[in-house]
Amino acid sequence: MTASARIGPGLSPRQRQRFSLLAALAVQLLILGVIANTVLSLDVVEDRREVVGGVETIHFRRELVGDVPLLIVAALGMAVPAASARIRREPVMLVAVQLGVVGLVLFVFWPLAQVFLEGFRAGQGTTGFSLLQFERLLASPTVARASIHTLLIGSVAAVLSTSLGTLVAYTLTLTDIPWRRMLRVLVVLPLVSPPFVVSHAFIMLFGRRGLITYDLLHITKWTIYGPDGIVLVQLISDVPLVVLILMAVFASINRDLEDAAEDLGGRPFHVLRTVTFPLVTPAILTAALLTFISSIADFGNPMLMGGGYQVLATQAYIQLIELFDLQLGAALAMLLVIPAVAAFALQHWITSRRSYVTVTGGARTGGIRKLPPLIKLPLFGLTFLLAGFTVLLYGSIFVGSLVESWGFDFTPSIRHLRGLITAVPQLRNSLVVSIGSGVVGGVIGIIIAWLVARQRLPGRSALDFSATLMYAIPGTVVGIGYIVAFNAAPYFWTGTFFIIIIAYAYRRLPVGLRTAVAAQKQIDPALEEASLDLGASRMRTFARITFPLLSRAFFAGVIYIFIRGMTDLSTAVFLNAGRTQLYTVRMFRVIITGSPSEAAAFAGLLIIIIMVALGILSRITGKSFVDLFRI
Amino acid sequence: MNSDQPFATASITLQDLSKRFGDLSAVEKVNLKVEAGTLVCLLGPSGCGKTTTLRMIAGFEEPSEGKIFIGEDDITRIPPYTRPTAMVFQSYALFPHMNVFENVAYGLKARRRPKEEIERRVNEAIRLMELEGNERKSPPQLSGGQQQRVALARALVIRPKVLLFDEPLSNLDAQLRVRMRGEIRGLQHRLGITSVYVTHDQEEAFSIADVVALMNKGKLIQLGTPRELYRQPADRFVAEFVGLSNVVPAELVESRTDGAIVRVLGVTIRSRRPPKSGGGPLSIVLRPEALAISSSGDHGVPARVLSLAYVGPIARYRVQVEGDGTELIVDLSNPGPDQFFGEGAQVKIRLPAEVPSLLS
Repeated sequence: MTASARIGPGLSPRQRQRFSLLAALAVQLLILGVIANTVLSLDVVEDRREVVGGVETIHFRRELVGDVPLLIVAALGMAVPAASARIRREPVMLVAVQLGVVGLVLFVFWPLAQVFLEGFRAGQGTTGFSLLQFERLLASPTVARASIHTLLIGSVAAVLSTSLGTLVAYTLTLTDIPWRRMLRVLVVLPLVSPPFVVSHAFIMLFGRRGLITYDLLHITKWTIYGPDGIVLVQLISDVPLVVLILMAVFASINRDLEDAAEDLGGRPFHVLRTVTFPLVTPAILTAALLTFISSIADFGNPMLMGGGYQVLATQAYIQLIELFDLQLGAALAMLLVIPAVAAFALQHWITSRRSYVTVTGGARTGGIRKLPPLIKLPLFGLTFLLAGFTVLLYGSIFVGSLVESWGFDFTPSIRHLRGLITAVPQLRNSLVVSIGSGVVGGVIGIIIAWLVARQRLPGRSALDFSATLMYAIPGTVVGIGYIVAFNAAPYFWTGTFFIIIIAYAYRRLPVGLRTAVAAQKQIDPALEEASLDLGASRMRTFARITFPLLSRAFFAGVIYIFIRGMTDLSTAVFLNAGRTQLYTVRMFRVIITGSPSEAAAFAGLLIIIIMVALGILSRITGKSFVDLFRI
Repeated sequence: MNSDQPFATASITLQDLSKRFGDLSAVEKVNLKVEAGTLVCLLGPSGCGKTTTLRMIAGFEEPSEGKIFIGEDDITRIPPYTRPTAMVFQSYALFPHMNVFENVAYGLKARRRPKEEIERRVNEAIRLMELEGNERKSPPQLSGGQQQRVALARALVIRPKVLLFDEPLSNLDAQLRVRMRGEIRGLQHRLGITSVYVTHDQEEAFSIADVVALMNKGKLIQLGTPRELYRQPADRFVAEFVGLSNVVPAELVESRTDGAIVRVLGVTIRSRRPPKSGGGPLSIVLRPEALAISSSGDHGVPARVLSLAYVGPIARYRVQVEGDGTELIVDLSNPGPDQFFGEGAQVKIRLPAEVPSLLS
């Protein structure tokens, strides 16, 4: 009788619960202790000096320095989940939620809040609210122009890449274009490399000594540098994003709707205009907003292609890194956050509304639409042009890395490949940081996904929103936020592997989270319930049931975050330092100062590493190349 | 722990149990005592709160109000993994990454039982459920019936005080369902383990349960043996839910302490129980099989045949009473050749002389 009532080694449920509550309490104190130990330190400071008989005596006193506000915020982050009786009753859940919340508070909200606080500060170390930085912004024509440029470039790039991407997605999904599979791969290919690699390829082809502009066409007056160059490069890297979103949507349109329109007398073009495109409008808007966010966040391209044309991301970098003006840099970052978050919120709102493209029971989808040649041929032409251009860009990177000096001397050489040996330290740093952030981000993602998708916790939507917020924050802003929050006493974390790993992990948390949530939704909740019902604790259930079933998704998340880490530039330029210099940062310097061929070798190696990572990912997930990017 | 030791089973008591999801009241003040060793069916239409009640007993839902006891222990606020319950899920919830043996052993491993004991008890459960030879198979390799047995073995092996079933047979085909139903009932009887069984299938509930708890809109409407529910439905909902019924208005002629006389469709009928106090319109439940149909020359209430359907060995007539237009369903088992009446035929319906109770 009592034997079956007792669960676990000789403990009654009540005793057991009391035990685990004590354990949880101990863990809580430990967490708080670790945070306190990090954010606070007891320093010895000079108190007063006395001159007694010609001898100057200096009195010291101990003073607590550090981030008291952060400690308070962290303690609050721990207290909030403990306020719910449901969470409090289960210690494992309590600790999981607390770690999730404290992590988000520390590494998402705190740095962002710091950007805003710093922006409203008069100068280094001053306290109190000041609008000085904004007066400076308004007074400076360069900065004022950068804001306008950012919005202008963002809007133009969003409109152009969305239009182009929509047409190409339609062509690749619903027409009988030849070599469709290969074209799909080519069109999404630019996603494998950081956008500034595309910039470099552009410079190699259309720059001052570009293969096409200089060697073939002998143009010397016109240059690619400037706003049109920035937009062109962003087109190449943003169109794939739009194509991915819209291919999925076009493929799921209920074909009967179009047939009905045709049956009622609509001509093909009329049907396209009045039925097909209106059906996908929400998806088009979503794509446009996402490309807008990606465009205004872009740092590497404008830096390389701008040629004096400044946007907010580059201005913030110049103010902070080159002119050491932390406050003005923060104020600029603030200006950058506002449109990004606004676009993100709008996109969130659009997707949360009812979608037209819901596939019900027996709806027919996909298939080939008959189009008159007058429409079809231009669409085909456009798609081939885009794919051909991609081939040209990547081809020139690989060819460029194998010649003596692109633009001057085209004799084959492996000099630059050999030169890559000097980049081994940076490559090692990048691998350490990217793998580290992949694992950290993957673990956090899977835990938050478990809390959000499975446990009906109070406030889970707030948790979800916080975890996805970073998607909207430009890398530059993340970098500045981390500098402001963690560069001074008592941390001095800037330039350490630790902070770069944390920054990457939290910046890419939305990716890990989305992969994990999607996988979790595939698992029958009854499996976890059965485990709990059979007497396994939450922790055991997670370890034995949830995690094994999610392990593929976990490793997929790790690789996604790894790839993002390997290709990041905008956060890296702020957070790395000599010893921790990252591969992309070194490569960026080489593009600016070195020869095009040397830079091409750097880019080529990076592309190969990412291709290998994608190959592993494809093995794990069983997805095709194009589907890998659809997350 | 000796394997021959009987199950340490216990009663279940639900006290004013309520569950609200936002504004929706899923379960409202349910009071129910399940005696030790009995099987109670929670029966009702979908959305009546039966599954929510079961999940509260298991600990997956937290009651908004009320208490749950197993034996003397208040388990209302303890997490599912410390409760002495075991559940058989509708989807079986067999762990796909474990084989049959590992699935069955799961609960014992979670309890950190010694290895030999786990081995012995798992093998015993596998034998009990006639699953020998399938220990190393993974769940998807098994048939639906076998998966069901694994789910049962996995629940039984931990020797729960209480066994919970959440529509366990709904994924099986009709024949297998009837067979498994018998097996579950036999097993429950043999082990004498307190069980709560959720189903929306009246026939299944009646064939398996000691006591049926009929629920509707979150409330417990009637608790009783299948016979009580069938013979003395508490209200019109019960009468209609527990079997095809004709609910016909009745006029009170005389009320006594030991019964009543009513007039129904012009016929005088005796009820063995008096109407519930409070007056109001009365009605009566006429079971289709309690009615008889015969040619127009006989005695009875004149009616016209609307339609006829054969349901297995039963001929089911839908007839309309001449005059007031009441529609009745009349079941005729093993109809002879002279008892066939076509659509539109004039017939006579004979009502029973006595019914168990009245509805108010």
